[in-house]
Amino acid sequence: MRTPKLTLIAGLCFVAAFSVSLLGHHSFAAQYDRTKPITLKGTVTKVEWMNPHIYFYIDVKSDAGRTVNWAVEGGAPSMLYRAGWRIDSLKAGDEVTVDGWLAKDGTNLANMRTATLANGKTVFGASSGGDTK
Amino acid sequence: MTKRRLVLPLLLALTLSLSLSARVTQKKPAPNLAGAWRNQYTPNLVDALGHEPPYTAYGAERWRTVDTSKDPTGFCLPPGPSRVLTSPFPFVIVQQEDRIALLFEYQTLWRMVYMDGRGHPADIADYPEFMGHSIGRWEGETLVVDTVGLNERSWLDTAGHEHSSKLHLTERFRKIAEDKIEWTATFEDPVFYSKPWSITRTFTRFDDDKDRIMPYTCTENNRDVDHLKPNQPNLNYKYQPEKN
Repeated sequence: MRTPKLTLIAGLCFVAAFSVSLLGHHSFAAQYDRTKPITLKGTVTKVEWMNPHIYFYIDVKSDAGRTVNWAVEGGAPSMLYRAGWRIDSLKAGDEVTVDGWLAKDGTNLANMRTATLANGKTVFGASSGGDTK
Repeated sequence: MTKRRLVLPLLLALTLSLSLSARVTQKKPAPNLAGAWRNQYTPNLVDALGHEPPYTAYGAERWRTVDTSKDPTGFCLPPGPSRVLTSPFPFVIVQQEDRIALLFEYQTLWRMVYMDGRGHPADIADYPEFMGHSIGRWEGETLVVDTVGLNERSWLDTAGHEHSSKLHLTERFRKIAEDKIEWTATFEDPVFYSKPWSITRTFTRFDDDKDRIMPYTCTENNRDVDHLKPNQPNLNYKYQPEKN
């Protein structure tokens, strides 16, 4: 079975850059692995603009044509709103490329560092796992 | 005639004297802390303290073995009275003479500080709370808040500094500019810490004319809880009581 089209890089540079980063209401490292950055490219299927952190879902196609739905976690809605983002900044149907980190539990879940639309515009700012969160 | 001439100046003198005495005894109004404020986000109190807090041997072992996947706020339990003030979310101070309310965006929580001279309830230790019981007083320009009655289910920060139900929190709020409050929190907890220790942070004015306090109902969609994995980042920590 082929894996979904994703890039899995063990990048220690990320560890160094974001070693102190924590989620707002619990430790980042209790859920995500800084040593496992991931890039996911796909189509948004749903956005949950809800507390404590937003989640959105993307269908990611593998080279073999198989589609896997991934969950992506972002920041807290109030923080994102204050940073200028809105509930429709990312919508179902949008093509998006997400750079982030894999969940430790092996599920199809990532924490976003950046989310970039097809036109090159990034949404939801920088890392939801950073100190701005 | 003579008597009348004397009465008038005497009355005037008396009035003036009473008025002056009233001015002298009139209480200086308390500093106005009311308004919306932005916290200084501090996920690890060591960043504010500059070093690890002065642990007891027991406290050090708890720090060494802490599992951050057990963070109570990860399960949407309240953060406690000081951690809420180091969270990345704004809060509002509503100030009356007899009480001061702190209303927090984070988890839609509140704290009530009684300013009417009462003490803590005699039975507070039997009914420990997540946010504790707070009484306050003015020491000059500084609001001093004394909090006890805390349960041991909250953590002091995201990094995993814990406390017992013996925690006695003393906070000092002092306006250092029209748009700044200096806040010092002193933690006394003989179970976890060998001596009291303090951190100081600054709150800055949150412009809720243009912005607003928003909802934070933590259980709305707390999907994280299903994905938490054991994480003990301090297993290599070596207790050094002499450096405390």
